[in-house]
Amino acid sequence: MEATQAWDGTGEWEVVVSGIGGQGIQLLAKTLAEAATSEGRHAMLAADYGGEMRGGPSKASVVVGAAPLRALPILPNAGSAVLAHHRFSEHVVERLRPGAFVLANAPLVDPAHLRADLRVVTVDAKAVAQQAGAPNALGFVLLGAYNARARLVAAQELEDAMTRLLPPYRRQHAEANIRALRAGADA
Amino acid sequence: MTLQLLEGGAAIAEAAIAAGCRFFAGYPMSPFTGLLEEMSRRLPAAGGVCLNAESEIEGVNMTLGAAAAGARAATGSCGQGIALMQEAIAEAALNETPFVVFNLARNQQDYFQATRGGGWGDYRTITLAPKDVPEAVEHTQLLFHLADRHRAPVVLYGDPLLAQTRVGVDVSPRDFGPLPPKDWVLDGTGGGTGRSRQVWTWAMGKATDPGPGPDGHWRAIAAKFDRIAELEARHEQAHVDDAETVVVAFGSAAKFVEHVVAELRADGHRIGWFRPVTLWPFPGAALEAATKGARNVLVFELNAGQMLDDVRLHAADRRAVRFIGGVSIAESGLSYGPLLDAPVIRERILEATV
Repeated sequence: MEATQAWDGTGEWEVVVSGIGGQGIQLLAKTLAEAATSEGRHAMLAADYGGEMRGGPSKASVVVGAAPLRALPILPNAGSAVLAHHRFSEHVVERLRPGAFVLANAPLVDPAHLRADLRVVTVDAKAVAQQAGAPNALGFVLLGAYNARARLVAAQELEDAMTRLLPPYRRQHAEANIRALRAGADA
Repeated sequence: MTLQLLEGGAAIAEAAIAAGCRFFAGYPMSPFTGLLEEMSRRLPAAGGVCLNAESEIEGVNMTLGAAAAGARAATGSCGQGIALMQEAIAEAALNETPFVVFNLARNQQDYFQATRGGGWGDYRTITLAPKDVPEAVEHTQLLFHLADRHRAPVVLYGDPLLAQTRVGVDVSPRDFGPLPPKDWVLDGTGGGTGRSRQVWTWAMGKATDPGPGPDGHWRAIAAKFDRIAELEARHEQAHVDDAETVVVAFGSAAKFVEHVVAELRADGHRIGWFRPVTLWPFPGAALEAATKGARNVLVFELNAGQMLDDVRLHAADRRAVRFIGGVSIAESGLSYGPLLDAPVIRERILEATV
């Protein structure tokens, strides 16, 4: 695992999460922003999705910083991304700065089709989720994998934020989600 | 300081409750709905009342009633719904009933609505246009103070980015200093004494206790808004001292302009920005001073050119003023189109300054 992908805790760190509705994109981003806030960071979450529940474009950007944020709610460029699906990802990729860290969900996202100046790490989130006994928690595998490299928040903080955000009728998923976050971090 | 990650509409609702708002009535309309939902969740527990009104007209009139009875009260919608409320806002301005109107608009096409009165009579509404969610939290609390300070309805003019972006905010109460006592409120304490009070747009008074009547009253109201114009204009600016180009923008758009101007400065351009924080009163004297040496005064707003009028009225040289904004609406009609984007704004500024 390359340490150079980690946030050094200064300035502002952006991550754009992109995929299709149903992959858990919005929950992934919200969990990250919530965890950063409870760690005392300044966070911003700008969500962008259509009316479709499944299959439509789903995108969210999270910015985290140690001081009040200057970032725009529509990011002109970004230093990292989580790509959960190849569909709708072109606009995200074209705004990444050279050297940006990309966590790509292979094989749905083929790294050979991404820009050569990006630092890409692939995770087969579906396979990892299934092995962890959490087949519905693909988004949390990606979040665990992303955060293990970017080190935005403590792993425990992610688990706590995920648990807090679960509505009462979804509490039974907490265990599987935690397994997914941990399996992602180890992947 | 504890930060809470809140969607903008919810952050505004929490800030309003922290400011003492105890009555809210409105009708759902995107992107305002989140504010109404948060109010309905949180206001009862704070000892307040939140009503989903039959329409915007009922909502604003209930708010007027609650405010006349002495409550800190508010209503809201997006520009389309605020259009329906104009009669009540005019009445409140003329009969001096203070409340807050939240326009969480779909775009920046409501500048005229917010700054030109909108109903009938000689009045304006103090209008604050925050550039982001943390500032909206500040402005919300300030607006309740300004409403009470001047006994007038006031407006917060936001947009979808403000309403729907989640940001870590501090919603603890702010202190803006003492206010005049609300000795005019219709709280029933004068009932049966022969000294019951009135809040009346026409100020005719009672047979036994005549008021100044419409002429005297409306002159006094007009003079009050002249005083507010002197007192309450607010603005921010940067890099204007040696600027050949000054870009003027408000609300979220101003945050984008600030970002682009900082980039262009770093590239060696002599460029600055000016942001009216209050749209009314428009900070005209400050704009005149900020544009003294500028060859280009560029106006960026997401409409066909509305604040443009105020910039032309106040820029040091009216001939330097040029419009680089425009109408840009998402396919849904509920948010901005592609014009509100830093690279696009940068292009427009560069094209206008060659």
